[in-house]
Amino acid sequence: MRRWIVGCVVVVVMMLLLSAFAGAQKKVSILWMEYDGLTPDYALNLEKAFEEANPGVDLEIISTPWDLGHDRLISLLAGKEPPDLAVIGTRWLLELLDMDVVEPIEKWVSKDLLNNIDPALMEGKVKGVLYGLPVAAGTRLMYYRSDIIDKAPETFEEMLQIALKIHKPEEKFYAVGMSGKKYVELTEYAYYLFGNGGYFFEILPDGSYGKCTVNDEAGVGALAFMNDLVNKYKVTQPGVTAYRRDELQDLFIAGNLGIFLSGGFTAALLEQRGVTFKWDVAPMPHFEGKPQSTIIITDSIVLFKDSDAKEEAGKFLDFFYSDPWRIQFDKMVGFPPVTKSLANDPFFQKPVYKVMIEQIPNAKGWPLIPEWPECNDIIWDNIVATFLGEKDPKTAMDDAAREIDALRGM
Amino acid sequence: MRRGKFWKTESGLAFFFLLPACVFLLLFMFYPIVYVILMSFFKVNKLGDLVGFFGFGNFRFMFDRPEFWQIIVRSCVWTALAVAVKTGIGLVIALLLNVDFRGRKVARGLVIIPWASSVPISAMIWQWTYNNDFGLLNHTLRTLRIFGEPPIWLAEPRSAFFANLWVDIWCGIPFMALVFLAGLQAIPQELYEAAEVDGATPFAKFRFVTLPLLSNVLTVATLLSILWTFNDFNVIYVLTGGGPGTSTDILITYIYKYAFQYLRFGPAAAMAVITFVILLTVSILYARSYFKGGGVY
Repeated sequence: MRRWIVGCVVVVVMMLLLSAFAGAQKKVSILWMEYDGLTPDYALNLEKAFEEANPGVDLEIISTPWDLGHDRLISLLAGKEPPDLAVIGTRWLLELLDMDVVEPIEKWVSKDLLNNIDPALMEGKVKGVLYGLPVAAGTRLMYYRSDIIDKAPETFEEMLQIALKIHKPEEKFYAVGMSGKKYVELTEYAYYLFGNGGYFFEILPDGSYGKCTVNDEAGVGALAFMNDLVNKYKVTQPGVTAYRRDELQDLFIAGNLGIFLSGGFTAALLEQRGVTFKWDVAPMPHFEGKPQSTIIITDSIVLFKDSDAKEEAGKFLDFFYSDPWRIQFDKMVGFPPVTKSLANDPFFQKPVYKVMIEQIPNAKGWPLIPEWPECNDIIWDNIVATFLGEKDPKTAMDDAAREIDALRGM
Repeated sequence: MRRGKFWKTESGLAFFFLLPACVFLLLFMFYPIVYVILMSFFKVNKLGDLVGFFGFGNFRFMFDRPEFWQIIVRSCVWTALAVAVKTGIGLVIALLLNVDFRGRKVARGLVIIPWASSVPISAMIWQWTYNNDFGLLNHTLRTLRIFGEPPIWLAEPRSAFFANLWVDIWCGIPFMALVFLAGLQAIPQELYEAAEVDGATPFAKFRFVTLPLLSNVLTVATLLSILWTFNDFNVIYVLTGGGPGTSTDILITYIYKYAFQYLRFGPAAAMAVITFVILLTVSILYARSYFKGGGVY
């Protein structure tokens, strides 16, 4: 009996010692978004390599699908359990600043790292303070089946003419992919809106956002055209309101779509999955008489005020932004590099990267307002109501603009 | 009795063993409920902290929104339809499984599969099943020529609602079937034999023996099903996310949107309180009917 008791005591003491030893390690957690094309192995290898290089730090990478990322982060913040770092859509930054949870990041990372990032991509800088480092930044572009379409359309009107010729629903081949189901952001409408010279809000002289303008000529025209593709010419896949962007991407990869508007990650996936058909990329189309424009989307990595491992988090950022890890990341996610040291790498001289970079000067970003997630949903719901024939485009966008202005107290 | 002695009595021991459960309930059940009730009457910041008394402001905000009332009605229709169908099919399955036949054990095992599998995974499988281009359902319907062009189930509000409803029913049937089966097996065989002697038809036996003796089990099972179905978040969130538009949102998914997508914890808490009141009322009505009928069989 005595032996048994002594044995138990020894085990307990050893466990206490072990836990004390483990406690000596600083833990750094990062809410990590699962980009299309980014394999789970990358995060595992990154975690392992960082811990080997920094024996005193225990890195925890919390992988989350992109479409759940915002809600998961909010749950963690509301539960007073924020991670140390998080990858975010840069458009969420104002919402997070409004919550007063984000730490200025500049003093926690090395000067070399800051100097290695293109200043034009520092969208995480608000009123002169840098809160987030760009993780990925890229313009959206057009993918098309080059084995079926001889020349990429430059305008949406040309795209419609091509679509009418190639659409073969009886063979399950649809000319244009259109997503009508919410997935992270309202990108589908942004393509047509920006290509029609429009924007979501009027920009006031001081750079702030005024009234919602989705019900102006450009906004209504963009939705009317989308609706015509879906309901008048019927050149999209049927049941657009059931398709999220990622499901549409699967349809293109499966060879069922002729034209698909998306980001650089689709190119990475097309290559990874070794599709047998020929495809190519082209700049995002625009409407006749309107300047070419597309949306540029940047994602950032932010540090939280409540982190008690800011120094270690900064070390992780320096590690993650080093060339060997960044080049793997950029190749997998399909965005052009955000670091200057990789800009001239031969891999990034492919057409898809060239198109993305060429579009940057005329590209527009998401509005940076704290209420954007709700505004986003309001516009989505009205677009869906149009697709379902419940509202005409003008009424839908009038309703959206009125509701958004009321929400923002305008 | 001296205080020290109380803890050595059987009642004292019972209190002692109940104490951890009580502490657990206070911490993890009552505290969140009380905090949500408080939130519904306060202005709440984006981190969920109370920042100022708001009276019925959060409730008024929701009541002024026409879609809120649509969602209340939809939640009630969703629950009523789902529970009715689950009860009906569950009862039929239970009656069949109560008959002695070869392979009954295997059949019972198969019936429990939807209940044993995780609801989000079941919903994801159904999402693929409903897919127009690659899904099993439309492929089968086309192959069997039942539909020339079958509906795209998740694209239209009405079909999306019923597609969601069916998945909820599919997940919930096994529970009902097993509970009813347990109830059926507790009915003494002699009652059926006596009915047979009196010349009762099979329907009469069901109507005058089975149903009355199963009524308490029916009451408890349907009450539990109402509570779960009204709060069924997983199926709708995975299948349609409340869409197209907000056409398949029910109260629970709407609460989630307000809390975790829009960070409006005040209105979300007000809706949670409304949900609580609705379900509490239903539970009280059920409890009254249950105890009026004499309680457990």
